[in-house]
Amino acid sequence: MKLRRTTPVVLAAALALTAACGGGGGSAQPSGDGKSFEFWSFSGINQKKSVEDYQKANPGVQVKLTEVGGSTETAQALTTALAGGKVPDLVLIQGDDLPKFVQQPQNFQDLRQYGADKIKSDYLDWVISQSTARSGEIIGIPTDVGGMAVAYRTDLFKQAGLPTDRDEVSKLWPTWDAFIETGKKYTAATGKAFVDNAATSVFYQAVNQGPQKYYDPSGNVVYATSPQVKTAFDLAIKTAQSGITARLSSFEDGWSAAMSKGDYAVISAPSWLLEQIRNNAPDTKGKWDVAKIPGGAGNWGGSYLAIPKGAANPKAAWDYISKTQSPQGQLDHFVDSGALPTTPSAYQDPKLLGRKDPFFSDAPTGKIYTESLLGLKPFLIGPDSAAIGQEFLNAITNVEQGKGDPAKAWDTALANIKTSIGK
Amino acid sequence: MTTTVSPPQARPESETQVRQNWSERLAPYAYIAPFFLIFAIFGLVPLLFTFYVALFDWNPIGEHVFVGFDNFTRLLGDTRFWNAAWNTISIWLLSTVPQLLVALLLAHLLNHARLRLALFWRMSMLVPYITSVAATTIVFAQMFDRDYGLLNWLLGLVGVGPIDFLQSGWGSHTMIAVMVAWRWFGYTTLLYLASLQAVPRTIYEAAAVDGAGAWKQFRHISIPSLRPVIVFTIVTSTIGGLQIFTEPLLVTTTSPLTCGPVRQCQTLTLFLYEQGFGQFQFGYGSAIGVALFVLIIAIASLNYVLSTRIRPERG
Repeated sequence: MKLRRTTPVVLAAALALTAACGGGGGSAQPSGDGKSFEFWSFSGINQKKSVEDYQKANPGVQVKLTEVGGSTETAQALTTALAGGKVPDLVLIQGDDLPKFVQQPQNFQDLRQYGADKIKSDYLDWVISQSTARSGEIIGIPTDVGGMAVAYRTDLFKQAGLPTDRDEVSKLWPTWDAFIETGKKYTAATGKAFVDNAATSVFYQAVNQGPQKYYDPSGNVVYATSPQVKTAFDLAIKTAQSGITARLSSFEDGWSAAMSKGDYAVISAPSWLLEQIRNNAPDTKGKWDVAKIPGGAGNWGGSYLAIPKGAANPKAAWDYISKTQSPQGQLDHFVDSGALPTTPSAYQDPKLLGRKDPFFSDAPTGKIYTESLLGLKPFLIGPDSAAIGQEFLNAITNVEQGKGDPAKAWDTALANIKTSIGK
Repeated sequence: MTTTVSPPQARPESETQVRQNWSERLAPYAYIAPFFLIFAIFGLVPLLFTFYVALFDWNPIGEHVFVGFDNFTRLLGDTRFWNAAWNTISIWLLSTVPQLLVALLLAHLLNHARLRLALFWRMSMLVPYITSVAATTIVFAQMFDRDYGLLNWLLGLVGVGPIDFLQSGWGSHTMIAVMVAWRWFGYTTLLYLASLQAVPRTIYEAAAVDGAGAWKQFRHISIPSLRPVIVFTIVTSTIGGLQIFTEPLLVTTTSPLTCGPVRQCQTLTLFLYEQGFGQFQFGYGSAIGVALFVLIIAIASLNYVLSTRIRPERG
């Protein structure tokens, strides 16, 4: 009697447990309705607008957009979701976070099955190649690229006796050394800091200008021997020591506050940063302008849309990707929000070339940023690129804050990277 | 007065009787079962799973390679681990010691018989405790800010140059310790106060009649009667203090996982989070978790032994 009564309970419990554990494996067949899908994005990139436009054009479709947090938090949430088995249908991944996922392509839908290999040529080669896995799977479609430039305050430049016209300003700093010299002039004239910090405004820009960053083309880590990295690091240390920085780490509260107060006059601004300046310092509208980056070309940042393997509505998600990330779709998004397209065919479009940004003294941002991409020599981003970059940034910041010994900073950074990534 | 108590009637041992005895014996276990079941699912299983994962090179979205105790040997040689351990202990001491002392003193004052609006004072102690940690941290981080902080503005008025709290080791530790202490002192005070209220007021009155001043009453009546609850708060604040996470995570936004460029305020839990969820090394992260578990058990037992040894003489 007793046994008979308890057996079903035990069985049910065991079944529930196995079912719960089996969830990680993911069911093979997606059972989506094709009419709705769940989309994880990060904040600050204005995917809301893109989703609204898409829903207007496709009235029957429901997009459940979640802004998880910053790009790092979104990548972390995605990792946890992939490990746990409950995934969104569509996810936005930032360029630096992408290699970790590309190395494990089995977690994602191979977008070639929806025809991604046919539209591959619409995108910048080096950008789409970053989301292509070793055995050829395409796991992400690029939504935007960084493109680099320098945003500066015309009013403060005027006070310091520097030119304010964007072409003349660009001529002030053909090289990073000239940039530092200009900074010294500014600081001498005004007694105020010239640039926000050395790590992101100098190192992160300069290190992105050249053919070989932390990895060589075959995927070996070469951060310790790459001349591009050492040059950028030395430039940043020189900047940190020259007394022209506000010693404010990017994206901190103090950094945003100083931006509105004009405590620094210059900030290196990839195209996506312009939106942040607008949001952080709305009162400074019209006081900014955009000039060329020292060294001419380069890229920092950019994002990709990917569909996890276990997605319930992969087809609906792909429809969103193919419509919003087509050359026309990216161009429309650029006109709305200023995110630079990854589709070179848009670069000749008068809508892009003619766009003037009133917040930045009517600077032709489309023209400036695409020019910075045209001379670019692409480099490989590897799975530990983000961790390596963070350690370099830490070493530079430490010198800038007056705690670290500049002569030892390079060796410290290398040692820390070795501890961190184990190679 | 004498009464004869008749012995309880011996009932016949029927089958129902046996069953009733059984159910009476089992009932308490049934009542406590929910907690232990939930604890097993959400506490014990994850704990054991952590021990298991710590033996692997575990990529959450890729392969799991068995590496034995490699993660632990790597941990012992990792300067970042020792740095985090030191930061944790430093922040814990800086926050716990002043917090418990202040709470002790405040509880004694709040227990004073002639205090007006006593309930208001007592309840308001809880406000920091019910405020969200994130909100507290953001407000304090702004107060301690180098350029725009209230604290540096006040220091500037008396001619002390701006202090960059976040960038130095001691500065960031103090800053975090202040946040932790501020959040918890009210809770601890109320615990002490509740215990003090159980002490008969007549004892204080008798002491006062005998000529004992406030300090003597505090030393010889309040503290001894608080001994058990002091032990309790020391143990719980040790466990809580060694797990400080949110405050160091939120004081800096640029490098939140390291709490500053040279990991000057990275605690053990933050280091665990950095390795596990920042770099996706679940195995190594779990090894840090196991190490933290051992450390907490060790310090908590040491605390317990020490604080129970320090007994007042009982006459």
